[in-house]
Amino acid sequence: MSTQTNGNNKPLLEAKDIYAGYTDFDILQGVSLEVYPGEIVCVIGPNGAGKSTVFKTIYGFLKIRKGTVIFDGQEITNKRPQQILRAGISNVPQLRSIFPQMTVKENLEMGMYIEKDKKRIAERIEYVLGLFPRLAERRAQMAGTMSGGEQRMLEIGRALMLEPKLILMDEPSAGLAPLITRMIFENVERLNKEIGLTVLMIEQNARQGLEASHRGYVLELGQNSYQGTGQELINNAEVRRAFLGG
Amino acid sequence: MDQFLQALINGILLGGFYAAMVLGFSIIWGVMGVINLSHGEFIMMGAFMAWLFSEPPDYLMEQLKFEALNPIFTYLISIGYQGMDPFLSLIIIMPVMFCFGYLLQKFLINRVVEKPHLVSLLVTFGLSITFANISKLFFSASPRSVDVAYTGAIRMGDVTMSNIKAIVFVGALIMLSALYLFLHRTRLGKSIRAAAQNKNAARMVGIEIDTVYAITFGLCVALTGAAGMMISPTQAVFPYMGPPFTLRAFTITALGGLGSIPGALVGGLVLGITETMIATFVPRIGTNLAIVASFSILVFILITRPQGLLSGLRPMEMEEGT
Ligand SMILES: Nc1ncnc2c1ncn2[C@@H]1O[C@H](COP(=O)(O)OP(=O)(O)OP(=O)(O)O)[C@@H](O)[C@H]1O
Ligand SMILES: [Mg+2]
Repeated sequence: MSTQTNGNNKPLLEAKDIYAGYTDFDILQGVSLEVYPGEIVCVIGPNGAGKSTVFKTIYGFLKIRKGTVIFDGQEITNKRPQQILRAGISNVPQLRSIFPQMTVKENLEMGMYIEKDKKRIAERIEYVLGLFPRLAERRAQMAGTMSGGEQRMLEIGRALMLEPKLILMDEPSAGLAPLITRMIFENVERLNKEIGLTVLMIEQNARQGLEASHRGYVLELGQNSYQGTGQELINNAEVRRAFLGG
Repeated sequence: MDQFLQALINGILLGGFYAAMVLGFSIIWGVMGVINLSHGEFIMMGAFMAWLFSEPPDYLMEQLKFEALNPIFTYLISIGYQGMDPFLSLIIIMPVMFCFGYLLQKFLINRVVEKPHLVSLLVTFGLSITFANISKLFFSASPRSVDVAYTGAIRMGDVTMSNIKAIVFVGALIMLSALYLFLHRTRLGKSIRAAAQNKNAARMVGIEIDTVYAITFGLCVALTGAAGMMISPTQAVFPYMGPPFTLRAFTITALGGLGSIPGALVGGLVLGITETMIATFVPRIGTNLAIVASFSILVFILITRPQGLLSGLRPMEMEEGT
């Protein structure tokens, strides 16, 4: 994947020196990252490094004790999820987040809960279903009865409902078969090319994640340890040893 | 055969009321995981309000020895108010109960929803005792009766159907369908279902959980108050009338599934018919045995099918959502 040159661009998302935690202890101890418009950025790191925690703080689920988050020129530190959504960030969390006893269509509708314009919601549903034909075939199916991959797609589709500028995806491939994983990554890259969607994702599947991305960050023990383009990280001897299986 | 048919009809009518009566309990449990032990007291409040609104003010003034209220009664007497039809009083009972429930959730229950079940169980148990005793201070323990103008019965061959019970049955069906449509067709209703099915995802799409919970609780208390009004013409109204309803609510919810509206109807009918059959065909002790039956059904279901017979807003589960 080619490297994006963003010399004169301003970052779309800029997290600076973030400290946050669930108890008194700070899980994140000075995490910083930047995402430029149009990029796919991948965060990798060992289990428990705090990757998901970074997303939770950006999204307003967890209080940031120190540091700032700036999105699209606007400070969004410790804003509520509703305000983050309005600013233009959507989220696909690590744990399943569909509404199991709602249909595919209703789930998509919930993605636009903060808007009331029914006509616009209906248009967006059709648009998103157009992106994912597999969901379109199942629009009246209860979301909880779909396969894991289809549910993931629904989550991504729902996150696209509000036409976000940035989408956060926490391990989009978790628990999915290699074929489905590839399909999810292909979808992500396609959305990035076709609609210019900026993506910040966490991947357990480090090699595949980095290959699909422009740049990557390595997070360890609540701090950044390496960053670089996808290829740089894949070629970095230490990153290889630690995360890519030699 | 006629006796059987009569019992069946009475059972169905009672079951319809039970279905409406259980909605508030079942939805609160299904949506926020709170087992509301003060459910029966909300029925009691609705019933007392029906009594208050239906009696003429001079009678109330004599019965309730509250000097502070006398000016209101005097005023009502002066304008010639003679009490209103209890069913009409629903237009006051439901909004008042909604506000009561909303505030209760906002200032009290929202503080304990995230805590282990035992905490909310104890809080609502405390509320139940508090409500019953405040009512006793206010209304005294004397049983009251609520009268309507249209007593009597519809006769069909050898079986009869009491007018009031038939009206209550129709009212119950209206409540069930209206609630179903509300939950499935409106934005607010969908946000309630979303919060029930996946709280974190609901937060993530921008639903303000605390507000949704407060509205849900208000709505459920309003429905329960309406059920209290509906039962008031057919049974004694007194401060301690609540607990048997809470117990039945448990049984029906176990039968029908958490927060399930079709489940409430099925569970209500099963219980209503069972109770009426026992009361009709078991000599002498039948009436008392009926409530024992309710508890036995509950225990039996919890042992054999803890997820309920039908699925509801979410599967019946006791563990905490994260
Ligand atoms: N809700 C929570 N309450 C308390 N501690 C938590 C909570 N969630 C995560 N943690 C702790 O925070 C640390 C970082 O967790 P996090 O989920 O961010 O890791 P991660 O990098 O996403 O790991 P994984 O690759 O396994 O998803 C871990 O030590 C975890 O135990
Ligand atoms: Mg994680």
